Amino acid sequence: MPQPILELSGLTKRYGAVEALTGFDLAVAAGETLAICGDNGAGKSTVIRIVSGAQPPSAGEIRIKGRPVRFASPADALSQGIATIYQDLALAPRMAIYQNVFMGSEILKPTPVPGLRVLDKQAMREAARGFLARLRVEIADMDKPVEALSGGQRQAVAIARALRWKADIVIMDEPTAALGVRETRKVIDLIHEIKAQGITVILISHNMRDVVAVADRAVILKGGRKVEDIPVSGLTPKSLAGMIMRDDAEIAADRENQALPLGGRRGE
Amino acid sequence: MTRADAVSRFGTLAAGVAVFLGFAVASEHFLTVANQLTILRQVSFLLILSLGFTFALIAAELDLSFANVASLAGVVTGGLVHFGHSSGLAIAAGLTVALAFGIVNGLLVTRLKIPSLIATLATAAVARGLAFMATDGVSWVGRWDPSFVWLGRGKVLGVPVLVVWSALLAFGAWFAISQTRFGVWLTATGEADEAARLAGIPIRRMKVWGLTLSGLFAGIGAVLLTASLSSAGPTSAGDFLMSGIAAVLLGMTMFTPGKPNMPGTLLGTLLIGVLANGLVLVGAPYYAQDIALGIIILGSVAISASTLTKAAFGL
Ligand SMILES: Nc1ncnc2c1ncn2[C@@H]1O[C@H](COP(=O)(O)OP(=O)(O)O)[C@@H](O)[C@H]1O
Ligand SMILES: [Mg+2]
Repeated sequence: MPQPILELSGLTKRYGAVEALTGFDLAVAAGETLAICGDNGAGKSTVIRIVSGAQPPSAGEIRIKGRPVRFASPADALSQGIATIYQDLALAPRMAIYQNVFMGSEILKPTPVPGLRVLDKQAMREAARGFLARLRVEIADMDKPVEALSGGQRQAVAIARALRWKADIVIMDEPTAALGVRETRKVIDLIHEIKAQGITVILISHNMRDVVAVADRAVILKGGRKVEDIPVSGLTPKSLAGMIMRDDAEIAADRENQALPLGGRRGE
Repeated sequence: MTRADAVSRFGTLAAGVAVFLGFAVASEHFLTVANQLTILRQVSFLLILSLGFTFALIAAELDLSFANVASLAGVVTGGLVHFGHSSGLAIAAGLTVALAFGIVNGLLVTRLKIPSLIATLATAAVARGLAFMATDGVSWVGRWDPSFVWLGRGKVLGVPVLVVWSALLAFGAWFAISQTRFGVWLTATGEADEAARLAGIPIRRMKVWGLTLSGLFAGIGAVLLTASLSSAGPTSAGDFLMSGIAAVLLGMTMFTPGKPNMPGTLLGTLLIGVLANGLVLVGAPYYAQDIALGIIILGSVAISASTLTKAAFGL
């Protein structure tokens, strides 16, 4: 792989006595769509919390384009081009669409009073409409509160915010978890749209059908360790689910005799 | 806008207009220019304190200390003027005390994680204690420096200067909230603090700002009240607690239902001022006003409970 856009090495996270993540290594190529899969409690959200700057790792290193970075906050990660779309979306439901898209990075314009800059609401409305259009989402009224939108449209608003940040890595934690079939379809389309714009996507999902539909590669976590790292092409949702469900003895056996050609050793 | 939307946005306003017209019919004195100016003058202190309370509430924090802090700031300013110090020093000292209470409230809430309902109730008690300590429980009344008194009693082109001050402050508060980045950050902090934090907004600093502005506006109101009365006592602003809360809650039923907003606060205070004045003019007993305030608070909360419960209980 050429210079990866994001590299994690030896990431470990302990919560008191619980080791939620153990020596996690990962290299993500620019423009790739990577799925992180695993059962409940496997450590998926822990990876995301570290990479998004929400929590520091107990040990290990994060490199962006080869440069080691440390995140003290989500704002730090954002400034490095990593935008995270959280499971609960992290939107302000009663605020307008354009205000959500520009939350924390509002467009300002000068006034005749020196030093006083005010919100450029018109510019924000138009730009927000533009970001949504890039996602092929049409909403007429940018002043509508987000709570009036459908689940898929809300995801679009959250992604539009990532576009606003000019993020080159977008992380999505269970983007379809709360959605019905039709809205899930829309979110899959949204992910295809951001892929098409060259943005690197890291997707966490329980839904193997979603993974197969959008991801180039899947990493499977179990008990805080990486047990698989495989290209998705040729896999079916069923075979992927089978890998997640395999029990520890089988995995250990695989490791010993290296029986599985695709087993977690790629990129080394 | 649907009809239900219109009712929820402008229903309170319509009711207010009806009350206004009712008083106009019931009392021949109500509509006179002199009486309308009296209402505006009386309402100005309430408005200034309520604008401050609104800043805190927009950040989803309750400031129950603003009235007692205003009394204390009034005592500080009034005391210094009363004992012959320059009015500049007196005003600066009063504002500083109020500002300090606001900052302390902010730090108690954000650093010690004490819910604002409790933190500001406690600092309200402290402010009240200090005001009684400073005055020995009496009020200072005197013939004070006329330039100081002018701040509360003067006129500019026939308009009471108090009305000018409160109009400027109301405009400033509206502008800060609806036209500046500070305003959206404060709003986002109150609406969805976790979302705001994840978007890089310094939410603790915003909450400190909300409570600090509440303190500062209490101080400004106190200075003007003291100047206007030419007196300062340990409980001179105490009554503004209930009417201020009622005004802001009433305001939350208007324009952007369920959300604290500056235009709502302005109209809320005007309605409460009209109500208080009109009740006196039509000869209603003195306790009628308290009962009316209680009903307004309950009625408003019934309409727009969520922001308030979040501010009070962090739900
Ligand atoms: N804040 C925390 N304190 C203690 N244990 C935690 C905390 N967060 C996660 N864990 C534990 O770490 C493990 C991995 O959790 P998580 O990353 O949330 O899993 P996933 O997202 O894959 O379901 C689980 O055993 C979970 O109980
Ligand atoms: Mg999770």
